[in-house]
Amino acid sequence: MPGIRRVVRGARGVGRLIVLVAIAIHAPRSMRAQAAADTMAFYKALDLEAAGKYRDAVPLFRTALRTSASVNALLGLERVYAELGRSDSLLAPLDTLIAASPNEETYRTVQLRTLQGLGRDADLQRAFDRWVHDKPESAAPYREYARLLLQKNRSAAADSVLARAKQALGSTKDLQLELAQARAAQGQWVESAQAWRLALISADYLVQAAAYALAPTPSSARQQIRDIFLAPPIDVPSRRALAELETGWGSPSDGWNALKDIPADSVGADAWSEFARRAESEERWTVAREALESALRWKRTPDLAIRAATAAMNAGDAPAALRLAPLSDAKGDSAAIARSYLPLHARALAALGRPSEAERLVERYDRFLSPGAKNSLTRTIAWGWVRTGDMNRARAALAATGAEGDSSDAAGWLALYEGNLKAARGLLRGGTESSPELALALGLVARLKVDSAPDIGRAFLALARGDSAGAAAQFVAAGEKTPAVRSLLLSTAAQLQAALKHDTDAVALWTRIVDTEKDTPEAPQAELEWARLLRRKGDVASATTHLEHMILAYPQSALVPQARRELELAKSAIPPTG
Amino acid sequence: MFSKNLSSACVILLLAAATAGAQRLLVPMDDAQQNHLKAYGLTYNAIKSGASAEWLLNYRGGSFLLADTPELRRQAGLSGITIEPIDNGRLGSIRAEIAANNMEAVPLEKAPKIAVYTPTDALPWDDAVTIALKYAGIDYTSIYDDEIERGDLSKYDWVHLHHEDFTGQLNKFYLSYRDFPWFIDLLQKNTAAAKRLGYANMPGLKKDVAMKIRDFVERGGFLFAMCGATETLELAIAGHNVDIAQSFIDGTPMDPDADRKMDWRGTFAFHDAHLEQSPFVNSMSDIDGHQVNVPGRRQPLGTFTLFNFSAKFDPVPSMLVQNHRAVVNDFYGVTTSFTKSVIKSGVTVLANEEGAPWVKYLHGDYGKGTWTYYGGHDPEDPQHQIGNPPTDLSLFKNSPGYRLILNNVLFPAAKKKPLKT
Repeated sequence: MPGIRRVVRGARGVGRLIVLVAIAIHAPRSMRAQAAADTMAFYKALDLEAAGKYRDAVPLFRTALRTSASVNALLGLERVYAELGRSDSLLAPLDTLIAASPNEETYRTVQLRTLQGLGRDADLQRAFDRWVHDKPESAAPYREYARLLLQKNRSAAADSVLARAKQALGSTKDLQLELAQARAAQGQWVESAQAWRLALISADYLVQAAAYALAPTPSSARQQIRDIFLAPPIDVPSRRALAELETGWGSPSDGWNALKDIPADSVGADAWSEFARRAESEERWTVAREALESALRWKRTPDLAIRAATAAMNAGDAPAALRLAPLSDAKGDSAAIARSYLPLHARALAALGRPSEAERLVERYDRFLSPGAKNSLTRTIAWGWVRTGDMNRARAALAATGAEGDSSDAAGWLALYEGNLKAARGLLRGGTESSPELALALGLVARLKVDSAPDIGRAFLALARGDSAGAAAQFVAAGEKTPAVRSLLLSTAAQLQAALKHDTDAVALWTRIVDTEKDTPEAPQAELEWARLLRRKGDVASATTHLEHMILAYPQSALVPQARRELELAKSAIPPTG
Repeated sequence: MFSKNLSSACVILLLAAATAGAQRLLVPMDDAQQNHLKAYGLTYNAIKSGASAEWLLNYRGGSFLLADTPELRRQAGLSGITIEPIDNGRLGSIRAEIAANNMEAVPLEKAPKIAVYTPTDALPWDDAVTIALKYAGIDYTSIYDDEIERGDLSKYDWVHLHHEDFTGQLNKFYLSYRDFPWFIDLLQKNTAAAKRLGYANMPGLKKDVAMKIRDFVERGGFLFAMCGATETLELAIAGHNVDIAQSFIDGTPMDPDADRKMDWRGTFAFHDAHLEQSPFVNSMSDIDGHQVNVPGRRQPLGTFTLFNFSAKFDPVPSMLVQNHRAVVNDFYGVTTSFTKSVIKSGVTVLANEEGAPWVKYLHGDYGKGTWTYYGGHDPEDPQHQIGNPPTDLSLFKNSPGYRLILNNVLFPAAKKKPLKT
C-alpha cells in the first residue's frame, strides 16, 4: 500500500496539469459550458486533495467518474484512496468503467496497478487475461503487465509475458523497451542490447536508461554489445548509449570511437558536446578535445571553441589551444577577450616558452582586467619565463604580483631551480598543478635533509627547458654530491636515458644502482625497468634472471607484483597483453 | 574408545619418529594462500623432482606438505605462494588433528605424465586446462588424432579433453560459423586428417579416437574431460556403430532410428540419453542440462556445491573436491552440466546445483583407470563466447573453479592405499 501511495503522489502534479490543458484545448466551444458543469465536481475534488482532505475528495472524484473528465477523475481517486489506505475501494468503480469503455487503456492500467499493489496476484493475472481477450491485437496489456512485473524484480515472469506477446502478436516490436529490461535483469546482455538498439530508434530519451541497464555487462560479453550498437546503419541514440557505456566501463576513448563517425549535424554536435561534458568532468582531456573539435567543425560558437582549446591545453597541446580559440573569435569584444581568451592564451604561450608574447597580450587588455585576474596572469607569465630558463625575468614578474606571487607554483619551481630546497619544499607541497616532474621533485625534497642543492636545481632546470639528455647528465652529476638521494637521481637519469632510447646509458645507470645502491628503493625499480627493457628487446633469459633476482632479493618491495606479472609474461604463463 | 585412542597415539608416535629431525614446508590452501593455482605447480614439480610430498585432505582447504628445500622456497618466493616452514612439534600437532577429524594425509609419489588432446598448433588460451597448466608451471604434451591413432596414449598417465566433438560434427558450429575463416580452416584440417588416417569422414575418425581413449582408461589411464568433450565422447562411444552425424558433415542424415541403436554399455557415465535429431538445433543430446546454444531451452547459471566426502574412506573423491570454497559460481560451456536422469548408477557425483535436475562434476572408475567430467568451458569466463579474450589467470590466482581442474592433475600422483573397509 505505501508503494501505491508513493507512485500516485508523484503523478499528482503532472495529472492535474494535463487535465487542465486537455480540457482547455480539446473541448469544442459549444460544449464548454456543459463540460465546465460536468467537471465542477472534479475541480473541487482536486482542491480538496491539494488541501490534504482526501476523505472529502473521494465522493467528488467518484461523481466526476461519470463526466467527460472520467480518466483524470479515476487517477485522482487512485491517489486519494492510496493516501487513505483504501486502494481496494477502487476495484468496483474500475469494473464499471471498464465494462462501459473496454478500449480505454488507462482504466486497464490502473486496474493492473491496483491489483498488484494489493498483492492480489491471481486477480491481477485474470485482469491481464481479460484485457488480452478484449484487445487481442494490442501490445498494451503485455507492456503494462510486463512493466509491473519488472518493477517488482520479477524478470522471469515478465519474460514469460513477453514470450506470450510474441506468440500472440507475431512480434515484440512494440515491446522492445520491456524486452530490453527483462533481458538485462536476467543477465542476457546480448539479447538485451539487441532490444535496446531497437527501442532506442523510436525513443531516444532512453539513452541513459539503456546505458544504466547494460552497465553491469561482464567484460566477456562487452564486445558483442559493442558490435550490436556499432552495426550499420548508424543510429545516434544507440551510439550515445554505447559511448556512455564505454565511459562507464573505464574507457572514454572507446566511448569516443562510438560517437566519432555519427553524421555531422545538429543532433551529432549535441551528442559530441554532451559526451565532451562528461569527459571534461572526468579530466579525460584528449577525448574531450576530439569531441569538441568535431562539434566545432559543425557549428562554431565561442563557448565550444573555448572548451575545445581548454581541453587541448589540459591535454598538453598548447599550439592547438591557440589555434582552436583565436582572439578573432571574440570579434573585437575586448571584455570577452580579457575574461575568456586571455587566461587560455597566456597559459599556452607560457607553456610554449613565449612569455614575452603573453606579456604583450596582457598589457594590451590591461584595462579590462581586475587586479586578481591580472595577478593570476602575471604568475602564468612568470612560469613562462621559468620555462625559458630566464630566472631574472621570472623573479621580476613574480615580484610584481606582490605577496600572492610568492606562494605560486612558479615560485616553488623557481626556488627549486635555484637550489633553494627549503622554500621549494613548502611551495611545491602546496602547489595546484600535478605532473610527473612535480612527483619527482617532491620525492627528492622530502628525502633530502639539506636546505640547499644548486646542482639538483640545475638538473631540474635543464629538464624544464626540454633538454632531457643534459638533465640526465646533471642528475648524475648531482648524485655525486648528494649521496642521500643518489639512487633517486641516478634512477631519474636512467629513466630519461631510456625515454631517449639511449639504452646503453640507461643500462649502465641501472647496473650502478643495483650494484652500489642495493639497499635503496630504487634498486628493485632499476632491476624491474632493466628486465622490461631486456624483454622488449627479446632477451627473455636475461630478463627472467633479473626479475627472479628482484623478486627474491626485495620481497617487501611494492613492485614485486609487477615483477611477478612480467615474469609470467616472460615465461608465457599468461596470455600476452595488448 | 580407549583402544582407538591408543592406536591413534601409536600412529602419531610412529609418524613423529619417522620424521624426526626433518623440517617441512606447509603450503596452506585456505584463505591464507595468496596463490592457490601456483601452489599446485609447486607441488607437482616437487614430486617430479623427487621431493617428498603429501596432500593433507580437508586440512586448511586441502594443504600440501612438502620437503623443506632451498629450491622449493625459491620457487614459492618467485611465484608468491604462501608457505609456512614447520618444525616437528607443529607437524606432530597437525598429524594429530588429521587423525582425529575427517582428514587424511595422502602421500604424493609420482608426477603423472600429462597429455592434452588438442591440435598441436592451438594456442593454450582457449582451453581452461592448458591455461591452468601453463599458469601453474606444469609441463604437458599436446597430442591429437595422429598421435592417438598410432598408439601414443600409452606414453601418458593423464589425458585431458576439452571442447572436441567426438561425434565428428565440430560442435555443430557449422550452423553459425560456416563462413568464418577459423571454421573453414578447422573443417579442412580435420577432413584431411580423416582421409590421411584412412577414414571416410570426420565422424569415422573421431569415433575411433573416442574408442581408443576409452581403451586408455580401461588399461589404467586417468581421463579428465570438460566442456563438450564429456558429452560427445559418450555419444561417440555409444554410437560407434550408428550414423549419428548430420548430413552437413558426412553427406548423409542421422540414422532416424539412431536413438534406439545407441549402445550405452561401454560408456563411462551416461545411459539412455536422447540424441538431438534436428540438424538445425545446436545441441547434441539431452545429456547437457543447460543447452546454452538453444534459444528457448537455455537455462540460467546458478552455483554448484561441492560434496563432502570421507577423506579416510573415499580419498579419491575427496582429493577431487579439495577447495577453499564449498559453493562455486557456475559457468557455461558447449556442455555445461549433466542431466541427472541419464547418469549411470555407480557414478560418483562430486558437485551439484541445489534443486536443479543436473549436476556439474562427475567421477568414476572404468577398467583399471578413472575418468572425471567437469561441465563448462572456463570457470572464470562464465558466459564464454567464441572470440572472447583469453583468461589471464594472474587475475584469478585464487579461483576455486580452476582449483578443481588442478585437483585432477595432481590426484593421479597419490599413492594408492589399500581400502580401510
